[in-house]
Amino acid sequence: MIDELSKNIESLLKEAGFNGKVSDLEPLTNGASNETWKFNFYENLVTQKMILKKGPDAPSSIALPKSKEAEIQKIVFQEQGPVPNVLAISNEKSSLKNAYIMMLVEGESIPRKILRDDTYKQIRDSLAFQCGQAIAKIHQVPLNSLNWLDNKDITQELEELYLTYENFKQPQPVFEYTFKWLRNQDFGDFPNTLIHADFRLGNLIFDKNGLQSVIDWELAHIGNPLQDLGWICVNSWRFGKHENVVGGFGEIEDLLNGYNSIIDIQLDVQQIKNWQIFGTLRWGVICLIQTFAHLLGPNNSVERAAIGRRVSETELDLVDLLFMEGK
Amino acid sequence: MIFDRPTIIELINSVKTFLINDVKNELPNYLGFKTQIAINVLSIVQRELEVGKELSSETLEMINSLLKDIDNPSIDTLAKEIQNGNLDLSDENLKKVLIKLSKNKVSVDNPNYSTYKKLIK
Repeated sequence: MIDELSKNIESLLKEAGFNGKVSDLEPLTNGASNETWKFNFYENLVTQKMILKKGPDAPSSIALPKSKEAEIQKIVFQEQGPVPNVLAISNEKSSLKNAYIMMLVEGESIPRKILRDDTYKQIRDSLAFQCGQAIAKIHQVPLNSLNWLDNKDITQELEELYLTYENFKQPQPVFEYTFKWLRNQDFGDFPNTLIHADFRLGNLIFDKNGLQSVIDWELAHIGNPLQDLGWICVNSWRFGKHENVVGGFGEIEDLLNGYNSIIDIQLDVQQIKNWQIFGTLRWGVICLIQTFAHLLGPNNSVERAAIGRRVSETELDLVDLLFMEGK
Repeated sequence: MIFDRPTIIELINSVKTFLINDVKNELPNYLGFKTQIAINVLSIVQRELEVGKELSSETLEMINSLLKDIDNPSIDTLAKEIQNGNLDLSDENLKKVLIKLSKNKVSVDNPNYSTYKKLIK
């Protein structure tokens, strides 16, 4: 299977103008739907490290197909945004189907290591500022070549999320309450921008100098820029470091200062908190999507079964935020 | 119970210990990670067997007294009542029920969760 995969990678790279040999192919993750493989590519006496990202043959309900994800990364890369360089994009006709190949960015993406290892102690205090900067750079990407992406305001975001939730016929009182509550809140009135929509530890690569790259663009769309700022404050993305509101490592002021060092707009903490509450609910619904993909789909996945029991974590965060002055 | 020891809890424990001691560290990283998830799932099963019934009836009693006018209210009815606008979002009793429901669920699903640990202090 590894041999066949290597051959398929070589032929996709050849189509893109890279003529060489694949070696040391190994899986980094091996989820039920998404696979990430690392390999060396030897061409013209030079070996380069590369990544294959492969999605399910049949696209999922909320994620972009890999070809679109790669297309966005290419555009962000051209604008000097912090993303890995995409080298080749596969399509249905190619043997790799829903996949693309990019350069490997050296560094660490595992949240627990970034939050707890000594290697990252020096940079941890500056990460919130750097994340603010990186988010702003993404929001600056011109939209003219991205008009094929979904463009949603908060009303559409909420409607879409509610329909998805309702579809599973597993009524959640806390979710119903939060949907009702969110319909009357202020989310800030800004022109929509490109948003990553999953900007948080796990999708960020760091080395000892700081943030190197933003990966996993499958939820990207055009929306309210505050959504990205609220999302990284969602407690699920603090990985146990509840006291540090931004990603488990930083303070909201630093995140906003980093953002404002690139884009000078008036940011309101309450509006961002409303996006954090929206984000918590959104993560809860994404947990439901993954759970029911396991329950209704053809493949057993223990991760997806387990994620069904993480819905309650988002409910607890919601009642904490809504009723108990949670941060 | 007509069944012999090991009890159902002891059986789960034995499988968990086997996975932790003999399996997890023998596997490549990504499978070790999945094994840890399998171990966590068994812990949920264990906790739900131990306290699930009690927590469910405690929560359902609270829902019962909040929705006095409805026969045999359930989680589904509570969700529907909120959705239909029959409950005032500022009602303190409603908030209390939602807090209790969420706490009780997380106490089985993941008692190590940061927000849970903060709230039971």
